[in-house]
Amino acid sequence: MRKSRKTVQVVILIAVLLIGGYAIGTTLFADSDKGPLREGGTPPAFELADLDGNIRQLSDYEGKPVVVNFWGTFCPPCVKEMPEFERQYQKWQDKGLVVLAINLSEDTLTVNNFVHRFELNYPILRDVNRKTERSYGLKSYPTTFFIKPDGSIAEIKVGGMTEADIDERIERLLQL
Amino acid sequence: MSLIENTKCECGHQNAVGTVLCESCGKPLEEQKDTAELPLEMRYDGVARRSQKSNPNVIDRVWNFFSSVKIAIYLIVLTFLTAMLGTIYPQENTFVGNFDPAVYYEETYGLTGKIYYMLGLTHTYESWWFIGLLVMIGTSLVICSLDRVLPLYRALSKQQIRKHLQFILRQKTVFKHTIEGDTGHWAEQFGAQLKRKGYRVHRDGTALLAEKNRFSRWGPYINHIGLILFLLAILARSIPGFQMDTYVSVPDGDTVQIPDTNYYVKSEKFTVEFYKDEELPDKLKGTARAKLYETKAVLYECVSGCGDPTAKPELREVTRHDIVVNDPLKYKGLKLYQFDFDLTPRLNAVHPVLVDKKTGNVYGPFDLPMRDSAMQHKLGPFTLDLYANYMEFAIGDNGEPTTLSRDPVAPAFIFSVKGPGLDPAGEPYMYFPMQKDKVKFAQDTINKGIADKIEIRVDGMDNVDFSEASTHLNVRMDRALPYVWVGAVFSMIGLLMGSYWQHRRIWLRIDGSELSLGAHTNKNWYGMRADVAGALKKVGIAVDPKSLDNGGNNA
Repeated sequence: MRKSRKTVQVVILIAVLLIGGYAIGTTLFADSDKGPLREGGTPPAFELADLDGNIRQLSDYEGKPVVVNFWGTFCPPCVKEMPEFERQYQKWQDKGLVVLAINLSEDTLTVNNFVHRFELNYPILRDVNRKTERSYGLKSYPTTFFIKPDGSIAEIKVGGMTEADIDERIERLLQL
Repeated sequence: MSLIENTKCECGHQNAVGTVLCESCGKPLEEQKDTAELPLEMRYDGVARRSQKSNPNVIDRVWNFFSSVKIAIYLIVLTFLTAMLGTIYPQENTFVGNFDPAVYYEETYGLTGKIYYMLGLTHTYESWWFIGLLVMIGTSLVICSLDRVLPLYRALSKQQIRKHLQFILRQKTVFKHTIEGDTGHWAEQFGAQLKRKGYRVHRDGTALLAEKNRFSRWGPYINHIGLILFLLAILARSIPGFQMDTYVSVPDGDTVQIPDTNYYVKSEKFTVEFYKDEELPDKLKGTARAKLYETKAVLYECVSGCGDPTAKPELREVTRHDIVVNDPLKYKGLKLYQFDFDLTPRLNAVHPVLVDKKTGNVYGPFDLPMRDSAMQHKLGPFTLDLYANYMEFAIGDNGEPTTLSRDPVAPAFIFSVKGPGLDPAGEPYMYFPMQKDKVKFAQDTINKGIADKIEIRVDGMDNVDFSEASTHLNVRMDRALPYVWVGAVFSMIGLLMGSYWQHRRIWLRIDGSELSLGAHTNKNWYGMRADVAGALKKVGIAVDPKSLDNGGNNA
């Protein structure tokens, strides 16, 4: 009798620990997932096609410093930044810098025409139906995410940057 | 087993530590002198709670903590108080769309808003400590119930019929009498009367136990089972895929994926109807009062190519429904409610023709969607190569054509046209599908010479494909809801069992010719006394029910 009572106690307390632990644990993790992205947070994963139809994921670049830039042909500061990113990409490529420019769900011809005009060599990714843009909680364009090699966000820049700004930020990113 | 306290009753029964009334004969154990004459404490029939042990270890201490009703009440009060804190300002999850709580609360409510946000009260009900409180209440509910229901069950299922005289005479309803004649016969007659009142009667010589509605004692525990189910269902909502509350916006004719699901929803048409003036009362005349919002929705499931960004997902229709307010589309726990709408029209495609101005021949029509059009259109002897397109055409600061947005507000197309009478290398032709843009940007002037040779134009509104409106749908899923209902039903059944029936018991023993009768119930003492007095009257003893009252609270 005493033994079975003990077993019941232990079983119930373990069940409480498991269920309670799970319930409390999920709220703790949900806290960091919710709300807009912040510096130090984890950027949402994406899986997008580039202009050649290759699938690229953010996780492909783990261990490398990554610049994720959201752009559109309809946004003049984005257009101005694109060749600047090209120069920065050429400058820092050897240090392992990755530039991923995600187009804001425009159509193929528009993107192709634009890219050919500026001869861009870094991957241009095609968002579909604003899905990735939404998962990043974008409010205005351009927005650029500087991601550390450990996969956390080092800096978020909303709005256009001068080439010197970009250079400075990338330098900071590479030192991390 | 070594017991520190001697808990052996004079009847020879060995009781557990914490026992108030002997489990066998009912004699009060270890009592202070000043309470010796008062009616007995009959809670849980005087048995020890399971957790009452003489030398508790760590597990016992944790167990004892949760087994305490006092702690349970503190937990419940604390939960109520903190739940109130969550109602001061709107919670984060009541906002739709992109909003930054860090900014919003401070901007809207000032410093208190900022503090409110910093304390995490903007998501009170999802916070770890609130969920923690719920978990503790749940634990307390299980342990409190278990610790009391099992001993109570044992006590009630093996009741001794002949009780100690002290036990009988210290009940709240007591009757003493001297019986003339055969005591055995009297007991039998009295038992028969109680049976007619619905009691189960057990006899042991001249001792008698009559009992009624014992099941009502299980009511509170069934109620607790319901509450625990309810609580588990609420906690289960944090399991991925158990609960969803999101919004999708669907222009007429478009098919949009419902975020984080394999489902796509198409709006075939959104309709809004307003009341006519004659249908409205005077003071509302002239105002737009909606009569009907309706979305003709089709729900699809993705069958293949779902996660692949390069492939078009292959969709299979699963259901369709005309969604109106309070009549959502339902499919396997997924519900799509009419939420909002937007009446801004959007141009999707045109079907223009090409006119050879020299011969007057008309070629086409051809399909020209605003997005991702075919790169080449062959029309009779003419070939149109799409060179560029713009969604909202404008001339940029550098004098080059550009687009101001990605929505087809002022679309423009540049074709390279080859054909009879044209340069074999192709001549550029600029085409604005909307008449207002044609005029604004002077299409014919831009096109110069080629404008005299060919024209691309749309014949009639039949050849224009546009979305009149967008519908906004609220997508909800709550797999926990059926369990919440089951819990609520259990809880209700338990509540009814415990409230509408009372557990009544009557003990009596006849020593010589002295009758001692005691009766106990958990509520409605008036009814208890009426039962006793009624049965006594039937066997020829007239007694005023009030005189049976032996004092004590709630008597």
